[in-house]
Amino acid sequence: MNESSAYQDLQPIHPEPASFWRRCVFSTDHKVIAKQFLWAGLLFLLFGGLLAMMIRWQWAYPGEKVPGMGAVLSRSGGVITPSAYNTIFTMHGLIMIFFAITPIMIGAFGNFCIPLMIGARDMAFPALNMISFWTFLVSQGLVIASFFVQLGSAAAGWTTYPPLSTQIGTPGTGQTLVVLAIFVTGVATIMGSINYVTTVIRLRAPGMTYMRMPATVWGLWLTAILNVLFVPVLGSAALLLLFDRAFGTQFFIAGAAAVKGGGDPLLFQHLFWIFGHPEVYILILPAWGIATDLLSFFARKPAYWFKGSVIAMTAVTILSAVVYGHHMFVTGMNPLLGQSFMLLTLIISVPAELLFLNWLHTLWKGSIRLTVPMLFALGMVFVFGLGGLTGLYLGTVSTDLYLHDTMFVVGHFHYTMAAASFLASFGALYFWFPKMFGRTMNEGLGKIHFWGSVVFITLVFGGQMLVGYAGQQRRLYDPYQYTFLAHLRPLNQWTSFFAFALGLSQLPFIYNFFQSVFAGAKAEQNPWQVGTLEWTLPSPPPHHNFDTIPTVLRGPHEYSNPEVKKALGRDWIGQTENLPTGATSGAVAGTGGE
Amino acid sequence: MSDVVPFRSPRARAHESTALVGMIIFVASWAMMFAALFFAYGMVRSRAAAWPPDLLRLPLGLPALNTAILAASSLALELGLRAVQGNRARVAGALRIGAAALLGAAFLALQTVVWLSVWAGGLRADSGPYASVFYGLTWVHAAQVAIGLVALAWIALRAARGTYSPARHLTVRLWTIYWHFVGVVWALMFVAVFLV
Amino acid sequence: MNSLVRLASGLSLLLWAGVAHAAPKPETAWGLPHDASVNGHLIDWLINSTSVFVGLLFAIMVIWMLWACIKHGADHPAEYDHGDGKHHITVALSISAAIFFVVDGNLFYNAMVDVRGQFWNFDKPESHPQAVRIEVNAHQWAWDARYAGPDGRFNTADDIVTLNDLRVPVGTPVLVQLASTDVIHSLYLPNFRIKQDAMPGMINRMWFQAKETGEFDIACAQHCGVAHYKMKGQLTVLPRSDYDAWVGRASAISSVAFDAKDDKAHWGWAWKPN
Repeated sequence: MNESSAYQDLQPIHPEPASFWRRCVFSTDHKVIAKQFLWAGLLFLLFGGLLAMMIRWQWAYPGEKVPGMGAVLSRSGGVITPSAYNTIFTMHGLIMIFFAITPIMIGAFGNFCIPLMIGARDMAFPALNMISFWTFLVSQGLVIASFFVQLGSAAAGWTTYPPLSTQIGTPGTGQTLVVLAIFVTGVATIMGSINYVTTVIRLRAPGMTYMRMPATVWGLWLTAILNVLFVPVLGSAALLLLFDRAFGTQFFIAGAAAVKGGGDPLLFQHLFWIFGHPEVYILILPAWGIATDLLSFFARKPAYWFKGSVIAMTAVTILSAVVYGHHMFVTGMNPLLGQSFMLLTLIISVPAELLFLNWLHTLWKGSIRLTVPMLFALGMVFVFGLGGLTGLYLGTVSTDLYLHDTMFVVGHFHYTMAAASFLASFGALYFWFPKMFGRTMNEGLGKIHFWGSVVFITLVFGGQMLVGYAGQQRRLYDPYQYTFLAHLRPLNQWTSFFAFALGLSQLPFIYNFFQSVFAGAKAEQNPWQVGTLEWTLPSPPPHHNFDTIPTVLRGPHEYSNPEVKKALGRDWIGQTENLPTGATSGAVAGTGGE
Repeated sequence: MSDVVPFRSPRARAHESTALVGMIIFVASWAMMFAALFFAYGMVRSRAAAWPPDLLRLPLGLPALNTAILAASSLALELGLRAVQGNRARVAGALRIGAAALLGAAFLALQTVVWLSVWAGGLRADSGPYASVFYGLTWVHAAQVAIGLVALAWIALRAARGTYSPARHLTVRLWTIYWHFVGVVWALMFVAVFLV
Repeated sequence: MNSLVRLASGLSLLLWAGVAHAAPKPETAWGLPHDASVNGHLIDWLINSTSVFVGLLFAIMVIWMLWACIKHGADHPAEYDHGDGKHHITVALSISAAIFFVVDGNLFYNAMVDVRGQFWNFDKPESHPQAVRIEVNAHQWAWDARYAGPDGRFNTADDIVTLNDLRVPVGTPVLVQLASTDVIHSLYLPNFRIKQDAMPGMINRMWFQAKETGEFDIACAQHCGVAHYKMKGQLTVLPRSDYDAWVGRASAISSVAFDAKDDKAHWGWAWKPN
């Protein structure tokens, strides 16, 4: 029995279930679950996007009737009231982070890519995977339900700071349901992440060393590790907040003014940001991984110093756990602590710079194919450049004294968490769509979608940064109440117009997506001519993925190798492919894998 | 204990290792949640003027007894696991796992007595930070015990039915890890909430 | 009832103040708001110098990407290079380190100097003989301010209590101690480049020094509920003599309006020592 056939036996092939329910609804197949997460995430992305449009309307035309929303905002005659506004921005943030980016990036692509790219037949715990999705669906249901209870949904900001988020500041069932939804979605995330981490540790195909794993898998794996360790912290914060709301405990409610005693509102901020800062990287690490792969694939060039990129991503993962204090510089924290957090935060820029250098070097002297996925990957590097660099001002104590809680912060984290994560997600969707659905998306519509998205994303969040630089606080129902902000109305209006344009730019995508899912041209097995494992399978792959579990010979980024060109007449070689003749194998098999 | 190493196929062994890796990751994750709870306890306590407030004293006897009960339960489960591994699942295994489950139930019952007596003594959930810590932490732990309890009862039944053999008893091993973890958390909680 | 008393005293102070009550001047251009503080330029300089670095780095990145996409397109043969040669790694690490030491180093060094020397250095204002001390209590959705009055002690009959109205002398350090009765607020003075959270159950502090007279916005920077967007006040910077005159008049009125039985009105605290 050789090594490979021993592996065949370790992951048995289970026949595809025959019934519709087991196949399409309560499926344990990671590819089906990935699609379920994708649909659920895209639906909530639309929801969160519409909420964003309402926020932008309010900033352009405060207190004026929102066109077409008369039925939804019937009580106020179509006008956004201050309390409705609070709900809108709160739920925009929560929905986008926990119910749109997370399911798309981690739920859909984590599920789809990890087993296929490491050569596994499924996740380590397929049943747990299914339960994870249905638990997630329950949390989405709770979010929707929260809109229909008295006093409406949550309104304490996505950060849910107490005491505002306790019964003192936000009475009503809606806020409670949303906090519960955060807890439940946390449970779903943990279940999924245990699966991802275990799958990568245990189910890599023979020869798939850690350094031969695609960067996408690295990003998703590091994200899963962060999720496993830090989502429970959010879970406990949510749980204690629920206790405070439902049973009258006082973890987060303090005595008035200078009176001692009572709980500690700051405690929640500690717990929230111990989770919250890793969360920022949870949402960006997969994007980095995807970009690292796509840039190499479409520059037809090996990823520049891949090992360095992996080390950089790992370093960021570790550092992300010890920098959370920079969210709390103005809460009255100990000055020495503040200064330490500043130093640690600034240190993160070293691995981030290294990643950028590697990306830029990968492009240099490549043979760049500007396909739609490549454009999105380049767009992600562009907006993450803006987002990453503007983080410097916020990680520094003195500049943060001025910029903290302004729109500058909002622009900054939208560039990173929203723009970069979504551009990478769209890139991933265009890239893996043929494999997921067995059909091809329209390239022209994809390009229109890309240019609309990248141009308007840059303008919208750039506009936010500008008004933040001018001092505008975040979360203002009507910024023009303040004299020092009154002159910013035209700028805010233009930003809103760009936001509406960004919304409209998604229409070609929606059409393209549905059209392609149901009527797109049949996809080839390997339309992009790349060498990672999933492209050795038919599109879409069979239920058990691999008929025989492959043996991996080299890293994922073997492009434009002169020897391969000589032997195979093409500029790429699969991770499992043998070089037929004259293969000295030194240059090919030896690279990228230790 | 049996000296014979039962034959397990490479597939079963691989499956077992995978499950154990998953369990360790799960425990690490759950430990982070309790770490956060203890962090909360520390911060709330460090702000309090007096701890415990005024003359109130939490009972010590019953919680101490409960600590012993949970320890005994862990031991019973460990012995149950050994029995299953020694091919004595149907009687010794089932009895010991059942005993572990019963001890767990006794723990919850006594815990309820503690809650009721403290409540009757005037310390309600809304009585302030001290009460918050006492109730909040013990509630979360009790929920964890309850989950384990259901699982243990189910395993004991399955052991009696002969589901487990020395070669096939992964579920028992996994829940044993879980149950030991529950015990360790309780020991820490007993020290933090009741003793110091 | 209590809030009515508070409001009345605030209003009467407003009427009796005897200084012109112009509204803050609106800003005219985009960019940082007018800087009215002695230390604000430190932050402005650090923001702007970092912007130069950041802009340069971003421009290099964009030009590099465009250049690569234009020059090294599909008809350009790709170079087979894993970039893991020793000199490659050395160059990459050196560039990262250089950027870190220049850009982050500039930020870190100056922030440390500014924070330790000015913004979080409370010895400096506390040791100033004429420093003005104000207690601010935030609540939904207003700022209560309290001056110690002639006796120099807080929570006494001669305290001056104002609503959404801070008055300070020009050229003198102003110390603020902050608390909140309900939720978290954040006292934000955009023209002075500082903000500080007001936390229930905690006393936070901040200080600033005005370099010119005038009226400026006081804003809330932390989401605090439905009327967060209009939780604003006005900071009036007066010449020292006008300020002293106002304190004299206002505390005389306050002593008359003082009601020892009104517990709610005595929210002040003994000044927290440095």
